[in-house]
Amino acid sequence: MTIIDISSWRLAASYLLLAVPLGIMLWLRLPMLSQALIAVVRMTLQLLFIGFYLQFVFDLNSLWVTGAWGLVMIVVADVSIARGCGLRMRRLGGGLFLALLAGTVVPLLFFVLLVVQGPAALDAQYVIPICGMILGNCLRADIVGIRTFYQSLWNNEKAYLLTLAQGASLKEALLPFIREAWQTALAPTVASIATIGLVSLPGMMTGVILGGGNPMTAIKYQIAIMIAIFAGTAMTVILAIWLTAFNNFTPRGTLDRDLFAAGRP
Amino acid sequence: MPISAIEIDNLSVALGGHKILSGLDLRLFPGQKTTLVGRSGCGKSTLLRCLLGFVAPKAGTIHIFGRELTSGSVWQLRTRMAYVPQEPELAPGQVRELLERPFTFHNNRHLRDNLSRVPALMERLHLHEKLLEQQVAALSGGEKQRITLLSALLLDREILLLDEASSALDRTAKLAVIDLLKERAALTVLSVSHDQEWIGFSDDLVDLTRPQEKGSA
Repeated sequence: MTIIDISSWRLAASYLLLAVPLGIMLWLRLPMLSQALIAVVRMTLQLLFIGFYLQFVFDLNSLWVTGAWGLVMIVVADVSIARGCGLRMRRLGGGLFLALLAGTVVPLLFFVLLVVQGPAALDAQYVIPICGMILGNCLRADIVGIRTFYQSLWNNEKAYLLTLAQGASLKEALLPFIREAWQTALAPTVASIATIGLVSLPGMMTGVILGGGNPMTAIKYQIAIMIAIFAGTAMTVILAIWLTAFNNFTPRGTLDRDLFAAGRP
Repeated sequence: MPISAIEIDNLSVALGGHKILSGLDLRLFPGQKTTLVGRSGCGKSTLLRCLLGFVAPKAGTIHIFGRELTSGSVWQLRTRMAYVPQEPELAPGQVRELLERPFTFHNNRHLRDNLSRVPALMERLHLHEKLLEQQVAALSGGEKQRITLLSALLLDREILLLDEASSALDRTAKLAVIDLLKERAALTVLSVSHDQEWIGFSDDLVDLTRPQEKGSA
């Protein structure tokens, strides 16, 4: 069984479906028409570029090039988390980069070396898509985790300071906020694990099936990737909070407001 | 001369570019009960926050029982003070959990037996014991203030910092608090208040609107 390729004309035909959302926007007179069109154009150009680039990287199949591409993906994720949370890159960047690196690389290596195995396990064809899936989930979880953590500290500053006044160490005072942030960030991953296969057919499974794999192979990949994502997101969120906290509290334990790009969350 | 519980020398504090305190000198001896007064924004609450290390001074020094308050010493010095903020915001959960939480901190674990004093202190503060099972969010302003004070007293600190701690209390509750503090002769109390009965209970009054002289308290 081989995958049916889509010709450029038939791909262009898929854009006809855009008439539905764009038509609704016009009918409701929503001011997001240009935003939506720009998003579609960006998506097309980005994916075309990635398609050509991945073809080149897959053909090259060099571990160094694959690793460099992974690092670029992590840096881009790092910048978008800081921007997405309204926090200053210079106050967040280093710790967040390490958190993303650990949250992506550890489960990735586990996945390719222990689960996939074999001489081809480190091929770009395996490493890059799996890295992208884990990193994408780490990015989403870090945005929620970091935002919840610093926003909650800001909103409950009086309660936090009272805890410090009661003799708590920085770690003891931050623990309830870390718990809340971690739980909030991991809740979507846990929910998607619980409903997978019932509510939606996940991306990786769909990819394996479309690529000609049988459903049982697809399911095995999917189970392993879900566990890798769960482990990666759990690791990256806790590390992102801890490693950025080093930089963003004064030696006396108060939150350094310079962290917020707009002066507040 | 006995060692001061609190000694403040030439303290200046600025917040957001605004001068809040300038050249403040103040000395409190152990057991002294002092009330800070002054117009709104003159730095009364800021001074208490400075003593806890939440606000870093622009100039000047603070000594607590002879030890200078710095970024390094503040963590240890906080274990010699207790604080009741104005309109306390408390973590969610049951009142019982709220009272127990400070004793889970490494610095307070050895004081855990003090929790046995909760029923007696609640009675003194006119709080019903049933309140322990209630959610913090359901407490009234006055109950929150008394529970925060109770939590502070359980920690057996040498210095108590109170920021308008009687503002939400009725007269009976306020007098109960005053009586409780009067009994603690060794406890140094630095409070902020505009209440005349509260001011009457203090040994000293410091008006932060006026320039201070060393040893004025």
